Amino acid sequence: MKIIVAIKQVPERDAPAHIAPDAKGIEERELQFAMNEPDAYALEEALQLKERNGGEVIVISAGPERVGSTIREALAKGADRAIHVVSDGLGARDALGVARLLAAAIQPESPDLVLTGLQSEDLGLGQTGVIVAEVLGLPHASLILQVEKTGSGLKVKRELEEGWFQHIELPMPAVLTIQSGGNKLRYATLMGIKRAKTKELRQINAAELSVDAAPTVTLEQITLPKKQKSTQMLSGTAKEAAASLVEKLKFEARVL
Amino acid sequence: MMILLLPTLAEPQHFSIAEKSILVVLTAASVYGFWRRFGPVLDRILKSKKDPDFHLAPIGKRAWEFIAEVMFQSKVIRERPLPGLAHAFVFWAFCAFALVTLNHCAVAFGAGFLDPAGSVGRGYFYFAALFAVACAAGILGLFIRRFLVRPRWLGEKLSWGSGFIAFLIFALMSTYLAAFFVADSGTAARALWWAHTLTLLIFLPVIPHTKHLHLVLSPFTIFLSRGGFSRIPPLKGDEDFGLVTGKDLTQIVSLQAYSCVECGRCTEHCPANNTGKILNPKEIVLGVRAYLNDLGPASDEPLLGKYNSQEAAFQCTTCGACEFQCPVGIEHLPILIGLRRGAVNTGTWDDNHGAKLFLALERGSNSLGLPASERDKFIEKNALPLFDGTQEYCLWLGCMGGYDPKGREIILAFVRVMNFLGTTYGVLRKERCTGDPVRRLGNDLLFQQLAESNLEALIQSKTKKIISICPHCVRTIQEDWKEFGTPPAIEHHSEFLARYADQLPQTQNQNQEKIVFHDPCYLGRYRNIYDEPRSIVARAGELIEAPRSRERSFCCGAGGGLAFLGEEKGDRVSHARAAELSATGAATVAAACPFCNTMFRDALASQGAGAPQLVDIAQLAARGLPEKIASKGNESAPL
Repeated sequence: MKIIVAIKQVPERDAPAHIAPDAKGIEERELQFAMNEPDAYALEEALQLKERNGGEVIVISAGPERVGSTIREALAKGADRAIHVVSDGLGARDALGVARLLAAAIQPESPDLVLTGLQSEDLGLGQTGVIVAEVLGLPHASLILQVEKTGSGLKVKRELEEGWFQHIELPMPAVLTIQSGGNKLRYATLMGIKRAKTKELRQINAAELSVDAAPTVTLEQITLPKKQKSTQMLSGTAKEAAASLVEKLKFEARVL
Repeated sequence: MMILLLPTLAEPQHFSIAEKSILVVLTAASVYGFWRRFGPVLDRILKSKKDPDFHLAPIGKRAWEFIAEVMFQSKVIRERPLPGLAHAFVFWAFCAFALVTLNHCAVAFGAGFLDPAGSVGRGYFYFAALFAVACAAGILGLFIRRFLVRPRWLGEKLSWGSGFIAFLIFALMSTYLAAFFVADSGTAARALWWAHTLTLLIFLPVIPHTKHLHLVLSPFTIFLSRGGFSRIPPLKGDEDFGLVTGKDLTQIVSLQAYSCVECGRCTEHCPANNTGKILNPKEIVLGVRAYLNDLGPASDEPLLGKYNSQEAAFQCTTCGACEFQCPVGIEHLPILIGLRRGAVNTGTWDDNHGAKLFLALERGSNSLGLPASERDKFIEKNALPLFDGTQEYCLWLGCMGGYDPKGREIILAFVRVMNFLGTTYGVLRKERCTGDPVRRLGNDLLFQQLAESNLEALIQSKTKKIISICPHCVRTIQEDWKEFGTPPAIEHHSEFLARYADQLPQTQNQNQEKIVFHDPCYLGRYRNIYDEPRSIVARAGELIEAPRSRERSFCCGAGGGLAFLGEEKGDRVSHARAAELSATGAATVAAACPFCNTMFRDALASQGAGAPQLVDIAQLAARGLPEKIASKGNESAPL
């Protein structure tokens, strides 16, 4: 089973977001980067599938040089080799452009399965994986918590709303976008890091892929959300306060 | 010359050729019997991996420790006075008997150099006789303790080898002493001489077959210690992941494994073992020994499995009581942590809580797994000044001080004291966990990342001196970070508070509040700080001591990363200790470590009404300070 996992490097979850002077992105200087968490779950799912069924896990990531550290982390956790699509200008591209680049790099590998996180922690578009499937012309399913290989295809568990799950079967090759929390993530080990040094990390320049990745959506400006939180103290006895709380929840917050 | 009037040691004269030949043959057999067993042991030790970081220097310190711990038996006696003294008598008698025994054998060949009739010889024999009496009494006492009193630390199985050795030692001493009461030339003298000789020749080969191997090895073990308490050796090369297989056992580890005398002091003081866990530090050491005996130091078999259990290795709180107590110089923590390193660095350790801690620190900044913005909010809300290189101290908040509500209270109390004293300080804009829990759990990758990124931040901020409320942070920054750079000087707040105690307002209350101080392991045994926090407690009330205090203090259960590993098996260590602290009748328990504090907070709460209140020494020091303190030089700057 040949599995490709597309991972993204994102700013660490608590990173302070300062808007860059051109207002088209955030300042990167003080940022620390980490692997997008849903992608980490996609990688974990791939590694477990390989442990059960054998095969190969290849990670792919697009981005500037700094992405290398996240790729090496994936190799350390157990991926067999990696492809780095080197591109400095990804921030200016939209999900379609990125998906086209990834699909072009994935295609020659002809994998049995492509996994990726259902969305990124920084932009949260939830589009890239699904578009990759479309570009590659493969069936896909999103919000996947569990993957099981059957004779010729896959059986997957998909998360719906309100605690409902859907179990579906689909043929291979396929693209799945993975929801966080389906598995237990493994921690990085010293042995993994040392072994990762000898694993193949192939760099492909985005330009070499000869793909039309020009954005179809243009980004005008980004701003920080305004703080809207306000606190009100309700006075009076517990009974009075409760009554006024219900009142406010009904008519001001309109949640009851 | 009064001494010449006293009876002297009877020595048989003129040994026949037959007697001499028998003696030579028996001696050769005895030495052969010794070497047949000892040779392979020595071989296994020498064929173990070389310790990458071992240095003989400073030799003076080694010599001093050798004199104190071996020659004066300081640790043997101090930690178990009665059996310790009995042991010391046996040891000292052996030293005194070195000359006597040499002379004893030489006599058979007419080469005796101590003349029983001369004043020097006679004097020395009397000198040795005094030791012989003390030794005989000592070994009798030890025999009674082992076979009649039977403390449970010695193990459930009676050691018949020890009984036999005790008998031999007793026989050696009595055959020597008896020779003062018989005539020189009679058969009695000759019979005693042979009895003494035969006992000696039996004794020698028995040594390497029993735990009495420590006679030969432990002086070397003590002299060749790693230096430093719980010193974790660096990993060397691309294939070193800690103690994974026999190939990873170093010469020091193997030497220590064979030196164990099975006295069980480590077990007696082990918080895990005392609260129903399977960990027994003595068995860990003996497990390594059994591995070496069965498989040798070149084996690829895992160390964790048949000989030692992974579960036991991960029950250790790294309190260090075992290593502190060990009279033969075994360093348990590098072994226990080494086994953990082997399991974690290769990914063999599978534990939900452990993985959660590791992942929290891979992605985030603190061991509690909270967003770093929580720390920012705390700094902002309390207007803590940022460190800019001009202040005297960099105040290290740590995970507990930055994120835990009780830890924050300790920081704020300490900050009040520093403001009152006019000491300048600042906190770092960003701080990551020092790596203490992951270091003790054996995750070298994560520890290195945390140490390096923190060292980088401290260098950039031009920090010269750090102060911290957490003994774990202090230890890790000062000792463990050394592997990756030069950490700034650091001290624990108890040291600072003790230094400035005179300048704080006196808070005499009429009915002296009884306060019991709990020694944190990482402050006491790890840093040798006992009196400083006590001086703060004594200012605030009547200092009382727990039954186990100072270097014998009993762990709170949080160390070694265990605070993060979820529910323990058996009783909770924290409950056992909290019960002991409450039983002193103290109104207040004073701690000096935010981890002890968090453990006791829950344990004391479960005692219900009447449980003592819990404070940190910083909170005691801040009592009696004026409500409003002008913070001279400590105005906050925006984040």
